[in-house]
Amino acid sequence: MYSNHRSFKWTSALLAVTLTLALALAACGNNNNNGGQAASGDASPSAGSPAASQVDGSPSAAAQGGELTYALATSPDTLDPQRSGLAVAVRVIRTLYDNLVVKLPDNTVKPWLATEWTESEDGLSYTFKLRQDVKFQDGTPFNAEAVKFNYDRILDPNTKAANASALLKPYKSAEVIDEYTVKLNLETPSRAFLGNLSQALLGLVSPTAAKKYGDQFGKNPVGTGPFKFVKWEENAEITVERNPDYNWAPEIVDNKGAPYLDRLTFKIAPEEATRIGSVQSGQVLAAETVPPQNIVSFKSNPDFQVLQANTIGLPYTLFINQEHAPWGETKARQALQYGIDVGAIVKTLYLGTYDQAWSALTPGVLGYDASLENSVQPDADKANALLDEIGWKKGADGIREKDGKKLTLRYVDGSPNREKRNDIAAIIQQQLKKIGIDTEVVITKDILTEVYTNSNYDLYGNSQVNGDPNALSAFYHTAPKGALGNLSKVSDPELDQWLEQGALEKDDAKRAELYKKVQQRIKDEAIILPIYVFPYTVAASKSVQGLKFDLLGYPLFNDVSLAK
Amino acid sequence: MRQSTAAEAVLQRRKWELPAYRGRARRIRPADLFVYAAGALILIIAICAAFPQWIAPYSPTDMMMDAIMQGPSAAHPFGTDYYGRDILSLVVYGSRDSLYIGFMSVLVGGLAGGAIGTLSGYVGGALDAVLMRIVDVLMTIPGILLALAIAAAMGPGMGNIVLAVAAASVPGYARVMRGQTISIKNRPFVTASRAIGATPFAIFWKHVLPNSLSPLLVMATLGIGTAILTGSGLSFLGLGVLKEIPDWGALLSQGRGYLTVAWWICTYPGLAITLLVLAVNIVGDWLRDRLDPKRKEA
Amino acid sequence: MLKAVTGRILSSLLVIVGSSALVFVIMYLLPGDPVASMIDISSASPETIANLRHQLGIDRPFLLQLADYFGKLLRGDFGQSVLNSEPVLPKIAKHFPATLALAAASAAVSVIVGVILGVLSAIHRNKPIDLIARIVGLLGISMPAFWTGILLLLIFSIRLGWFPAMGSDGWRTLVLPALTLGLIGAGFIVRMVRNSMLEVIGDAFVVTLRAKGLSERAVMYRHALRNALIPAVTMIGVLAGEMLAGTVVIETVFSRQGIGRIIADAIMAKDLPVVQGVILFSSLVYVVVNLLVDLSYAVIDPRVRRSA
Repeated sequence: MYSNHRSFKWTSALLAVTLTLALALAACGNNNNNGGQAASGDASPSAGSPAASQVDGSPSAAAQGGELTYALATSPDTLDPQRSGLAVAVRVIRTLYDNLVVKLPDNTVKPWLATEWTESEDGLSYTFKLRQDVKFQDGTPFNAEAVKFNYDRILDPNTKAANASALLKPYKSAEVIDEYTVKLNLETPSRAFLGNLSQALLGLVSPTAAKKYGDQFGKNPVGTGPFKFVKWEENAEITVERNPDYNWAPEIVDNKGAPYLDRLTFKIAPEEATRIGSVQSGQVLAAETVPPQNIVSFKSNPDFQVLQANTIGLPYTLFINQEHAPWGETKARQALQYGIDVGAIVKTLYLGTYDQAWSALTPGVLGYDASLENSVQPDADKANALLDEIGWKKGADGIREKDGKKLTLRYVDGSPNREKRNDIAAIIQQQLKKIGIDTEVVITKDILTEVYTNSNYDLYGNSQVNGDPNALSAFYHTAPKGALGNLSKVSDPELDQWLEQGALEKDDAKRAELYKKVQQRIKDEAIILPIYVFPYTVAASKSVQGLKFDLLGYPLFNDVSLAK
Repeated sequence: MRQSTAAEAVLQRRKWELPAYRGRARRIRPADLFVYAAGALILIIAICAAFPQWIAPYSPTDMMMDAIMQGPSAAHPFGTDYYGRDILSLVVYGSRDSLYIGFMSVLVGGLAGGAIGTLSGYVGGALDAVLMRIVDVLMTIPGILLALAIAAAMGPGMGNIVLAVAAASVPGYARVMRGQTISIKNRPFVTASRAIGATPFAIFWKHVLPNSLSPLLVMATLGIGTAILTGSGLSFLGLGVLKEIPDWGALLSQGRGYLTVAWWICTYPGLAITLLVLAVNIVGDWLRDRLDPKRKEA
Repeated sequence: MLKAVTGRILSSLLVIVGSSALVFVIMYLLPGDPVASMIDISSASPETIANLRHQLGIDRPFLLQLADYFGKLLRGDFGQSVLNSEPVLPKIAKHFPATLALAAASAAVSVIVGVILGVLSAIHRNKPIDLIARIVGLLGISMPAFWTGILLLLIFSIRLGWFPAMGSDGWRTLVLPALTLGLIGAGFIVRMVRNSMLEVIGDAFVVTLRAKGLSERAVMYRHALRNALIPAVTMIGVLAGEMLAGTVVIETVFSRQGIGRIIADAIMAKDLPVVQGVILFSSLVYVVVNLLVDLSYAVIDPRVRRSA
C-alpha cells in the first residue's frame, strides 16, 4: 500500500520520460553528426557543386577505387530499359547501358555509340555509323545487327515494352547496311526522334542475354555501360561494379574510360526518415530525393553537400478539365489563375528549394518562353470580379452559386504523396475557399480509372520528364476521334497547327518560335496552372566527388570518386 | 475443443467460465487512481471531440503562412505545422475523427462478429461449421492485410476505413460470442426456460446476451485502441483519408518527415494517440478485473 | 490424439483454400490496374494500355481467371508477378528468411520482456513496480508501431549511431526492428502472464503448497510461473498473425527485405499472383504455428493432454 502522493510521482516520471524523448529528438535536428565517421572534414574545396568538380578535367586527380552507397527512394520495377516505365529504374539503368547518341544540356545531339549519322532528305530515315571497339559486358560484339535487334525488340509485343515504344515512335524498321552501319526507317518524319534515341529507356541491351533470359532479362541485365550488374536483392539493394573494358563514354562526362569506383550499391529506402538518417549517420554516402525541410539542414552542415539538378520537360502542372462546367469558360479558369497563390504555395511547402513554374515547359527545353516568368500575379479581387462577371454570386455560406448550383471543384491527386503534391491540394482548397469555390480534394491510388478512364476531375496535376518540346503535343493537341482526350480537354485549331509544325520544323530557331506561341496561348487562355519545377536532389557526404546529372536530371556516376 | 483451437479453449475457460459477478468490498486502491486518471483523460478527449470550438484557440484550417513550423510558444502551445496551422487546434479537432474511427469500427465489427458468433453457437450443426470455417479463413489473414486490401479496394473515405478496421476485428468477436453462447445455452436455467416455451429470441435476449455482455464489453474497450492504431497504420501505408481536418493518425503520419526539423508537428498527435489508447487499455483491463469474477485480487 | 491432429490438418487445408479464394475475390474487386504501376500512364495511349492488359491476361472474365488460378495452383504453379514476370514461389522463398528472422527475434523480445515484466508485476502487485511494468507493457501496445520505429531509429541509429538504420544483413540490423515489433507482443504477454499468475497464486494447489511450508520464492517460480507460461505460449500462436502484420509496417520503416513489404507493394500495385502467393503462404505459416502451439500445450499442460 502506498500513498496517493507516490502514485502521482510515477505519472510525473512518465511525463519526464516523454519530455526527455522530445528533447532528444529536438537535438537530432541540429545534430552535427557525431556518428558520421565516413565524412572526412578535408574534402577538396571543389566538391561543393557538381559543376565545379572535375572542371580541370584531369582524371588522374580522382582517387581510384572504393564503393559508393546511394540510397534510392523507391524500388525499380525492372532493369530491362525497354520494359521499364519508372524514373527510379532509370537511375540504375543509366549505369548499365549506353545509347546511340547523347543529348547535351544545350539541346545538341552528340555521338555516343554512333560516331556519325545522316538524315535522309524526306526525314524518313537515319543512317548511323557505329563505333567498332564496343563490346557488351557478356562479350557479345556491338554492331548494326545488335542495334536492329534492340529496336525491333521494342516493337515486339512479347517484350511488353511500354514507355520505350512511345519514345521510339515513329520507328518502322532497321536495315543492316554493313557490320557497323545501320539505317533506321520511320513511318513519318519526326524532329524528336534523334533526341529520343538518347533516352535511357532506349538503352541498348545485349542481344545474346536478352534472348537467353527472355522475361527474366530485367533481373539479369547486360549492356555496354560503365558498370556491370552484380546482384539485385529485391527491396534491399542493387549492386553494380566497374566495367574495366569501358572506353566509350559520351561527351557529357569527363572520364571517357572505366569509372573510378569499384562498386556502386543502390540501397532501397522508401521511408524518408530512414533514407535521410542513413546519410546523416554515415551508413550510406549519398541519398536521393531529399525533402525540402532536410535540404536546409544538410546545406548548413559542413560535412555534407547537396547536389541539385532541375528536371526538364513539363513542370508539375495542374490541368483544368474544360469539359466540366464552368471550367470551359476562360474567365472561370482565369479566376483560378488569379485566385491561387502559387508563389506562396511553392515557398511554404518547399522552403525555397524548388523553383516556381511559369509556363507549360520548364526552363532548359528548346523554345522555353522566359518572358512568361512573373507574368501572372495572384489577385483575389480580380478572381472575385471574374466569377461575379460570369454570374457566380457568393451565397450565405460564402460559396458561390448560380442557378441554384454551388461552385465546386473536384481536385484529384494520387497517393502516395509524391513531392508533397497532396499538400498543394490542401493549400489550394483553403485559398479557393476565400474566393467562394468549394474544393473537394480526392486522393486516390487509382489515377488510371479516376482520371484517364472516367475523366472524373476538374483539376488534376501531372508532370513529364522529356527533353523535347514535342512533349506538349500529348497534352495540348486535340485528341484523335474516339480517344479520351488530353487532360485539359483542350481543342484549339491554332494550337494544333503550331504543334504539328513544331514536330516537323528543321530550323531550331523557327521551331522555338512555334513553341513560344503555344506557351503564350496556354497562359492567355489559362488552360493550366504551372506549379513547380522538380529538382532532383541528392544529399551526400563531402567525400563524394564528381557526381553529375544528365539533361533530364538523372545522375551520372562515370566521374564519381571518393576522397580518402 | 473440436471447433476452436485448444489454445483458445484454454483461454476462454480461464477467462469466462465462472458464473455471475459477486459483490466485492469497496475501497479505493491506488491502482484505481490510474483508472480514474484514464477515465478523466477519455472524458477530456470526448469533450474535445464534442465541443472543439470551445477549446481550440484557432481554426484548424487556418493556414498562417508567415508562421510555419514554429516551435511551442505562448501563442501556439503545441507549435505550428508546415502550413502554419496551430497544432493544438488540429489535435483538438482531430479527436473527432479518431474517436469516430475507434468507436464506429468497434461497433460495426462487434455487432457483425457478435451476431455471427451467437448464431453459430446457438444454432450449431452445419451452419456453425460453415460460419466458423469462414471465421477461420478471416483469422488466417492478418488484420492489417485485410484492412489494407479493403481500404485499397474501396478507396479513401472515413466510412471505408471504419469498414476495413471493423472487418479485421470480426473473427475475434465471433469466436468469443460463440464460446459464450455454447457455454450458456446448455445451462440448467436456459434448458428450463426452453422447456417452458421461451422463444429462441427471448432466450437470447434474457439469458445469452446479459451473460455475454461482460466479455464483449471488455473486448470492445480494448478494440477501440486497436482500431485507432490500425487506422494510423493505414495512414502510414498511404491509405488514409486526406481531410481538411485530419485525424490523429493522419497528422502523425504526415508529420513524421519533419521529426528532425520540427519535432512538435508529429509528437503531439502521436502522444494524443498513445495516451488515448493507453487510457482505453487501462479502463479495459479494469473492466475485465471487475467483470470477471474469477479474478480474486487481494 | 493422432486423430485430432489429422482432423486439424484437414480442416486447415480447407481454410487455406478458402482464404486463397477469398483473397482472389477481394483482389479482383480492387479497382485500379497493375498497368498503372508499370508504365507512365500519362503518356501511354489507350491502345498501349489495352495491349498490355491483354498480354497480362487481366482482361479475361472473372471465373476464367479464377479457374485458371486454381488450375495452376493444383499443378504447383503459383504464377508469376504481373509487374516483372518473376515467379512467385522463388520470390517468397527468397524473402521469407529475413521475415522469419525478424519474427523470431521479435517473438524472443516479446516473451523475454513480457514474462519478466509480467512476473514482476504479479509478484509486486499493486506496488510501484507493478504499475511501472504494466505501463511499460501498455505503452508497447498503445504506440503506433511506425512511430515507435522512427523514434528508435532517430535515437539509436542517427543520434547515437549504435545500430544501422536500414538493411537486412547481420544481427545488428535486426535489433531496432525486433525491438519495435517485440514491444507490441510484450504488451500482450505482460497482461497475460500477470493475470494468470494472479489466478494461479490464488489457486487451491498453491495455497496447499504454501501451507506445506514451501518458500514463497519456490512457490512463485517453480509452480506459479510454470502455469502462467501457458497463456504466454498461446499468445505466440495468436501473435504469429500479428507479427506478420507488423512486418508490413516495420519492414518499410527499416528498409528491410521481407514478405511483409512484398505483399504491401503487391496490394498497392494490384499484382494479383504475388498477393495470392504470399497470403497462401502466410496462412500456411499461421496454421502450422498454431498447430505447433496446440501440440506444445499437451507437453506443458497435462490437463489438455488428457482432454484431447
